[in-house]
Amino acid sequence: MYRPFDHERSAAGTRALWAIAIVLIASVAVALALPQTMPRRFPDRKPIHVWHPWTAEWKTIVDRIVATYNASQDRYEVIALSVPAHTAASKFLSSVAGGAPPDVIVSWDAVIPKWAEGGIIMPLDGLMSAEERERVTRSAYPISLKIGTYKSRLYAIVTGLDVYACYLRTDFAREAGLDAERPPETLDNLVAWGEKLDRFDSNKRLVRAGFLDPLSSVLGLAMFAPAFGGGFYDWDRGVLTLNTPENLRALSFLAGTRERLGFENVVRFESGHSGDVANAAWPFITGAYGITIDGQWRVEQIAQYAPDLAYDTFPIPPPVGGRAHAGWASGNFAMIAKGAKNVEGAWEFIRFWSGIDNPDRAAEFYTWGGWLPPFPDLAEAPAYREYVEKNPRFKAFLDVLPSEYLQPMPPVSHQAYLWDRIAAAYAAAMRGTLRPDAALARITLENEREVAMHKELGYTE
Amino acid sequence: MKRGWAGYAFIGPWLAGFATFTAFPFAASIWLSFTRYDIVSDPVWVGAANYNRLLTEDPIFWKSLFITVKYALVAVPLSMVVGVALALLLNLEIAGIAIYRTLFFIPSIVPVVATSVLFIWLLNPQTGLVNGVLSEFGVAGPAWLADKRWAFTSLVFMSLWGVGGSMVIYLAGLKDIPLALYEAAIIDGAGAWQRTRHITLPMLTPVIFFNLMMGIIGSFQYFTQAYIVTQGGPDDSTNFYALYLFNRAWRYLDMGYASAMAWILFAIVMTMTIAVFRSHRRWVHYEN
Repeated sequence: MYRPFDHERSAAGTRALWAIAIVLIASVAVALALPQTMPRRFPDRKPIHVWHPWTAEWKTIVDRIVATYNASQDRYEVIALSVPAHTAASKFLSSVAGGAPPDVIVSWDAVIPKWAEGGIIMPLDGLMSAEERERVTRSAYPISLKIGTYKSRLYAIVTGLDVYACYLRTDFAREAGLDAERPPETLDNLVAWGEKLDRFDSNKRLVRAGFLDPLSSVLGLAMFAPAFGGGFYDWDRGVLTLNTPENLRALSFLAGTRERLGFENVVRFESGHSGDVANAAWPFITGAYGITIDGQWRVEQIAQYAPDLAYDTFPIPPPVGGRAHAGWASGNFAMIAKGAKNVEGAWEFIRFWSGIDNPDRAAEFYTWGGWLPPFPDLAEAPAYREYVEKNPRFKAFLDVLPSEYLQPMPPVSHQAYLWDRIAAAYAAAMRGTLRPDAALARITLENEREVAMHKELGYTE
Repeated sequence: MKRGWAGYAFIGPWLAGFATFTAFPFAASIWLSFTRYDIVSDPVWVGAANYNRLLTEDPIFWKSLFITVKYALVAVPLSMVVGVALALLLNLEIAGIAIYRTLFFIPSIVPVVATSVLFIWLLNPQTGLVNGVLSEFGVAGPAWLADKRWAFTSLVFMSLWGVGGSMVIYLAGLKDIPLALYEAAIIDGAGAWQRTRHITLPMLTPVIFFNLMMGIIGSFQYFTQAYIVTQGGPDDSTNFYALYLFNRAWRYLDMGYASAMAWILFAIVMTMTIAVFRSHRRWVHYEN
C-alpha cells in the first residue's frame, strides 16, 4: 500500500536523533570530568605510586605496611595498587610506554633481566648512599643479591624471600611406625620414608603420595639440581649450565620417584589436586601427601586454616655426596620504573619496607605474613626472633636462607623463555613422555635457538 | 546535508575509536613486524629476520600452528554438526520447546573465563563430575587436562559448551525455510531423511557458510581457554598459536616477533577465508 512520505514524522525523528546524540556526548563529557581516582588521604604530600601483585589476605598486609609508612613521615604518601600477577607485566609495560608508570613495581615474575636490558627499570646502585651500598652488598643474604642483580648492577631490592623445605605429616609418620621426631637426613632416607607413607586404593591408584614434590607449584628440577651439585647457571663464570651430569642425576632422581609409583598414576593423582592448591585446600592439609616440598608461607596458612594439623618442617636432605641447604629460591622484589616521577620517594619506601634503614622496625612487617626477610639482621631482630619462637616450623626455612647454594632463575635476558622451556621439558620428563637426558638435550637446543635468534635480531645478551 | 552530519555525529565516536585502537595499530604492526621492539625502546629495523626465524628456526611456531590448524579441522566441523543437529531437534513443535531452546542457549552467554574454571572442576580426574559419571559405568576416566593424549581433546569438547550461539543462528535459518517446499516434498512422497537431505540442509547452507567462516576465524584466534585451563601444557600439547603469540609479545617482550606471527596468522586466515568464499558457489544455495 502506498504511504506518502511524512515530513513531520521525519523531522521529529531527526530531532530525537540529535537529542540522543547530545545526551551521549554529554554523558561522555561528564564521565571524563569526574575525578578518576580515589581522593587522596594526604593531598599535601608528594605521591609514591606502588603497584604490587598481592590480593586477598596478602594485600591486607601490604596495605598495613603502606599505612605504617604513611604514618611514619609527612613528606610522601604511598598509594598502593594491587595489580594481579598475571596481568601486571602487560599493564606495567603499557604504563611505561605511555609515560605514566608507577614509581615502584613489585613483582615475583621472571622479569628483571629483560626489563633491565630494555631500560624499563632503573639500576638502584646510583640511588644508594655509599653506606647503603655497603650494607646491601655486604650483609644481604646471597640469594637476595642473586635475585636482584643483573650484569653486576642491582635492579631490585628483595622485599621477601621464598625458600622451600620439606613438610612432613607427623601423624602419618607415626601411623607408619616412623620416628617423626627424627626426620630423614639423606635423600635416600627421604625416599624410603615416602615408600612407607604411600597409600593406594583397591584399584592400586595412588591416594596418598608418601613423598612427591608437587609438580604444579614447584619446579622440582630447579629445586634438586643444586642439591646434586648442579643448577642452571654458574654465577662465577656467568654462563648457563643446562645439560650437565649433575642436572641429569637430579632429573633422573625426580623421574624415578614418579616412575616407582607409575607415571600415569602420578599424573592422575597430581591432576586431581592441581586446581586447589591454595589456602585450606592445599593437598598437604587435606592429607594427599605424607611428605612434600613447599614454601614458608604454608606455615602461616596452616596456622590459619588447620591450626591442629600434626606436621613438621625440615630442610630438603641432600643426596649422598650432594650439597645440604641447596636448592631453588625465589622472592618478591621492588623495582623503580623508568620514567618514575618520584624516584627519591620510591627509593625511600623501598628502604623502609626492606629494612635497609631500620631493620628492627621492618622486621615486624615480616612477621605479619610469615615472610622471610632479605637481610640477616631483620631475621635476628627481636620482633622476628619472637615470631620464630612462636612458630618453630619457620626455623627450617631460616636455616636454609644464608646458604650460598640457593639459586634463583638464571640471570639471562631470555629468562622467561628459558624458564618456560625448562618447565615444559621437566613436565614431560615427569610424565614419562621424555627421557631425562632427552629433556635436558631439548632444553639446551631450545636455549641455543633462542640465543641465536637474539643475536640475529641484535639483542645484547 | 544536515541529516548527514547527524549520522556522522553518531558514528564519530566509533570512527575515532576504530582509527585509534584498530586501524592505527593494525598498520603499525606491519612496520613492527620488521623490527626488534620491546614496547619501551624505539623499534630497530631488522628486515625480514623475524619472518625468517619464525619460518625456519622456530619449531614451537610450527607446533603451535599445527595444533591450531588441527583444532580448526576438528572443532569447527564438530560444532557445526552438533549445532545443526541441536537446531533440528529444537525446531520440533513440542511442549516446552522455548524452555529447551533457552537451556541450550544459556551456556553460550556464560563468560569464557567462568566456563573455563567450571571445566577445570568438571574434568578433575579424581573429584570431577565427568570421571564420576564414567566410573558409574565402570570406565576409569583419564587425567583429562594433564594427560598429553587428552588435553587437546578436552578443549575440543569444551568448545561444544558454547555451541548454543551458532545453534540459534541455525534455528533462525530453519525457520526461514518456506513450508511450501516441505509440503511439495511430502506430496511427492519424500520421507523425513529425504526432506532433511534435499530441502533442509541445502536451504540451510547460507547459514552454515556464515558459521563456517566465523568458526574458522574464531579457531585461529583460540586463546582464552588454553590460557586459563592448560597454559599450553602438558608438554606444549595445547600451545595454541595465539597463546604462543601472546607469550612472545607480553612475556618475552618480542613485540616485533609477535607482530610477524600476527601477520602470518592474518595471511593464513585471509587465505582460508578467500578459499571458502570461492568454494561457496558450489555448495551454498540461496532461495532466489
